[in-house]
Amino acid sequence: MMRKGCFLLLCVVLLVGCLQIPVSAAPVEKIKIAGQFGLVYAPLMVAKSQGIFQKYGLEPVWKEYGSGGAVREALISGEADVGFMEIPPFLIGWDKGCPWKVAVGFVVVPIGLVTYDPEIKSLKDFRPEDKIAVPSPGSIQHILLAMAAEKELGSPNALDNNIVALPHPDACAALISKKGIKAHFTTPPYLFEELSEPGFHLIVDDIAIFGHPFSFNVGVASEAFHEKQPVVYSIFVNAIAEAMAWINNNKTAAAELLAPEFKLSAEKTLQYLEWEGMNYTTAPYGLMGFAEFMQEAGYINRVPNSLADIAFENILAFVGSRAGTPSDIENLQEK
Amino acid sequence: MKMRKRKNKTYDQSLFVVSIMVCWELLARTKWFPPLLFPRLTTVLYQLFADVKSGEILGRLYFSLYLIAVGLGLAIVTAVIATILALCSPLISNWVQAVMTILHPLPGISILPVIILWLGTGPQSIIAVIWFSSVWPLITNLHTGLRSVPVTQIEVGRNLGIKGVGLIRKVLLPGASPYVLTGLRVAWARAWQASVAAEMVFGASGGEGGLGWFIYKKRFFMDIPSVFGGMIVIIIVGLIVERLGFEWVEVRTVRRWGMTQE
Repeated sequence: MMRKGCFLLLCVVLLVGCLQIPVSAAPVEKIKIAGQFGLVYAPLMVAKSQGIFQKYGLEPVWKEYGSGGAVREALISGEADVGFMEIPPFLIGWDKGCPWKVAVGFVVVPIGLVTYDPEIKSLKDFRPEDKIAVPSPGSIQHILLAMAAEKELGSPNALDNNIVALPHPDACAALISKKGIKAHFTTPPYLFEELSEPGFHLIVDDIAIFGHPFSFNVGVASEAFHEKQPVVYSIFVNAIAEAMAWINNNKTAAAELLAPEFKLSAEKTLQYLEWEGMNYTTAPYGLMGFAEFMQEAGYINRVPNSLADIAFENILAFVGSRAGTPSDIENLQEK
Repeated sequence: MKMRKRKNKTYDQSLFVVSIMVCWELLARTKWFPPLLFPRLTTVLYQLFADVKSGEILGRLYFSLYLIAVGLGLAIVTAVIATILALCSPLISNWVQAVMTILHPLPGISILPVIILWLGTGPQSIIAVIWFSSVWPLITNLHTGLRSVPVTQIEVGRNLGIKGVGLIRKVLLPGASPYVLTGLRVAWARAWQASVAAEMVFGASGGEGGLGWFIYKKRFFMDIPSVFGGMIVIIIVGLIVERLGFEWVEVRTVRRWGMTQE
């Protein structure tokens, strides 16, 4: 009798246990996201602090790197499922055979070449000993400088010997203290900080070089990830969109949320978020324009036949394909 | 007997290196790792050949060697002066030892941010880092080496009527030579490390970069075979200097005098 009771009890315990296991220990899908730090990555910070990914039952694993090149290496080595990098590092990887495409546009920001030297008004005024800081070779700043050099000086390599590779914070400090470098090709918030200094001025900016705004940054995913985890992929695209829309519609609240992260005041953060030209958008601009220039200048060996070679279907549908002459957003992919 | 032993060593080492190279090639051919991250040795060598032919890698190598020559040269001069002063006065000797204790453990590359602020970016900063990295092992070894010469040897020299510069040249320097050689070897290695690291951390100017800048740039353009090529060139230069430089001197000096064994 006693034995029977024990057996029954054991059965009940096991049954309850079995029923509970799927609930308590359901494997949560994870997504490893490689980003960088700074104003540009505000949507990632918002998604993180508001738990947007968790809302969809997805657990994000945030990884932070120091440059687009490092994000690219994280994606190739499998340390990350998706990553954010500028268009040129993405294209260099694509050219070398990385099986990946653009999953989401990320942000359009003002980019510019800043100097403190009143003598330097255009690229022609740079002497051989004047150093220009860019974050790294092959970065979007380096490619834009090459584009500008081709336009103004006739060769994309005209200023190659003036380049120094310095991370943004170091270059910003060096420029403001007027030590070592003459100019800095940079993005917000460093661009804003430098331009707030008396006597500092823009030599050339993104629109003057490229002709129209372009995505500073894009979200990239491997084809394997896109094929094998379509649900996670879709959640990723949607979660990023949600974070961006929230920033765009709640700038003051966003500034308050982000200010401690950037160690700035809420007013200053808001001022930066509302700076002329800032645009958090999942629409990509300028993908093909960069590819064509980089191939002509010898930075990559091939150009995508069409956007379909370098972007997933959600981007293709976003840009669309107008019968007859291309639509505005299609035109914006070109230079 | 001695010759045969030496031949065997070279043979053993070459065989080992060649088998590693074969393993590399075979492993890369299995495609277990993405070729982007782990290229085949043949691809690397082919790319290295192309980089040599275009003159790019040799120009970078020349520039690296130039920076190292200047930095290491300055470090040797500094070390000699510091050691001479330390030998002349026990007070200065204590100072030199204090500075050494404080600064020797500091990696050269860690002073780079300060150097950039003081000297700006460019060759002068890299030379400063090379100097800083190599001067401490030089002083340490020179100082210890000269002090380790037994007093009896010096006294014998004096008794034989050798004085001043002659005493240094004929008794002290030969007595300290194993240390001097070790110091130079360590300083040379640290100078290379410093030059490559400095260029990778902040990147020199495009036109004025050495091999560190070459590797750094190729990394960002995802030219991984060239990255390996840059490393191979550094290894080859290291081997040449070791075999034709240090070992040559060692065989003709300290080993002939029976102060060290192979």
